[in-house]
Amino acid sequence: MTRPTPRQVKAMADAAGVPVADDVAARIANSIGPAFEGFAPVAGTLPFDLEPASFLVVQNTRAVS
Amino acid sequence: MSATEPALMSLTEIAQAIAQKRVSSREVTQSCLDRIAQWQPSLNAFMTIEAEPALAAADAADAALAKGNRQGALHGVPLAHKDMYYEAGKVVSCGSKIRRDWVATTTATALQRLKDAGTVRLGSLQMAEFAYGPTGHNAHYGAVHNPWRHRHITGGSSSGSGAAVAARLTFAALGSDTGGSIRMPAHFCGVTGLKTTVGLISRAGAMPLSQSLDTVGPLARTAEDCALLTGLIAGADPADPTCINRAVPDYLAATRETLQGLKVGVPTAFYVDDLDPEIARILDETITTLKHEGAEIVSVELPDQRQLTAACQLVLACEAAAFHKRWLIERPQDYGPQVLMRLQNGLAISGVSYLEALRWRGPALAAYLAATERAEIVLAPVAPVAAPTIAESDVGNSLDAEAVIQRLTRFTRPVNYLGLPSLAVPAGFTKDGLPGGMQLIGRPFDEATLLGAGAAFQRASDFHARWPEMEMA
Repeated sequence: MTRPTPRQVKAMADAAGVPVADDVAARIANSIGPAFEGFAPVAGTLPFDLEPASFLVVQNTRAVS
Repeated sequence: MSATEPALMSLTEIAQAIAQKRVSSREVTQSCLDRIAQWQPSLNAFMTIEAEPALAAADAADAALAKGNRQGALHGVPLAHKDMYYEAGKVVSCGSKIRRDWVATTTATALQRLKDAGTVRLGSLQMAEFAYGPTGHNAHYGAVHNPWRHRHITGGSSSGSGAAVAARLTFAALGSDTGGSIRMPAHFCGVTGLKTTVGLISRAGAMPLSQSLDTVGPLARTAEDCALLTGLIAGADPADPTCINRAVPDYLAATRETLQGLKVGVPTAFYVDDLDPEIARILDETITTLKHEGAEIVSVELPDQRQLTAACQLVLACEAAAFHKRWLIERPQDYGPQVLMRLQNGLAISGVSYLEALRWRGPALAAYLAATERAEIVLAPVAPVAAPTIAESDVGNSLDAEAVIQRLTRFTRPVNYLGLPSLAVPAGFTKDGLPGGMQLIGRPFDEATLLGAGAAFQRASDFHARWPEMEMA
């Protein structure tokens, strides 16, 4: 997972139905880029059977009763 | 300022004093209103002040008590809350221009439970626009000022809650914490704040920001006060199916615990890196106090917390953009520049990236809990610095705005991503007189241990009992 380019941001915003100007796309790419880079070591490594609800399973099985 | 002013007592003390008729609800409410009238012009902590209705409600509470009818544990206690908790028939601005005149048709479960306990409404408290900002700036209603140093920020997004509790304008206040919004104002303003486990307290009727991360919790003067409030508002709610059906512990009883033998984990990295020297000193002094009180300090090596921060940002930005999509299309001009910028960030996150960040949450929590197995709680600073000035943190929508925000919140976001509880307690002051808070991070649904440790720490220190000698604007 790499940081999106302004061009990619513009295309995604268009697809989301909230078009943005070129300068806004550049600013978004600059702002959100570090989050993509920070998550890069995890992205693309998760096992097939893992679903978001696994969080609740861990939370409840490891909760203090 | 007189130490005998009712407004200067703690929530627990004033609730008992009213119940025992040592002071009337009217006297207490008037004491708060007098302080609000004196300090609101310089602090800007309140969104609305409802003096006459508050006094009328106080009189009704006194009349009921005279007849032997005590409604609940907070009978006649005046409180104000962050202006994002819906109350039917009241304007709830959410700190925004968009909802400036919006009238709620339902009442938030947390708020209703406090009303059922007998509280009196003083008004509503300032906040960051749509709870999306960690500093206390608000493009529409102005910055809230730190009661300890007028030119400094309060932290956000529960900015008014932090300032009003610190200035003794209200005994306590509900805040919300999605990325640090209770703990940051608690740290910057020198009050106690509890970020609760995701699923402990109903979010029904609380303005949403991120459905995966939002939590409801109190800011108050003491851990004991937080325990009292949490015990009243926690528990299952049919209106919020994400709220877990668990028995609510006796949090007040937990505050009578000591620190003897409690295993406190201190991270070897991340939370101790790049600290302002004053915050580093406060951390060291907190460890010394905990040891002196019998706690056992153990080092903990945590998984890479930067990845948690990144995952938190992806989830938060995407969910916030989805909540706001209609207004992003129809009313973008009605957002403040920074909030608009941050909401637009979410447009750049694909569904796949968003879900990947959510899918990792379970394994990330399991890894954290395994790494901290030897500790019952983990100690960490709330933020690497004390409150910056309003001017230096007013970054608007500049190119480095997000970077500034991320630096301020880097110690709070991992906790939100993991959904863990965390109690922020006042732990010292800088040489410039600004408060510094530490967070006690617990295991899922173990607020009781945090509140017990916090209360024991507060019996061994007096930082929570100090109030600011406020400067006029």
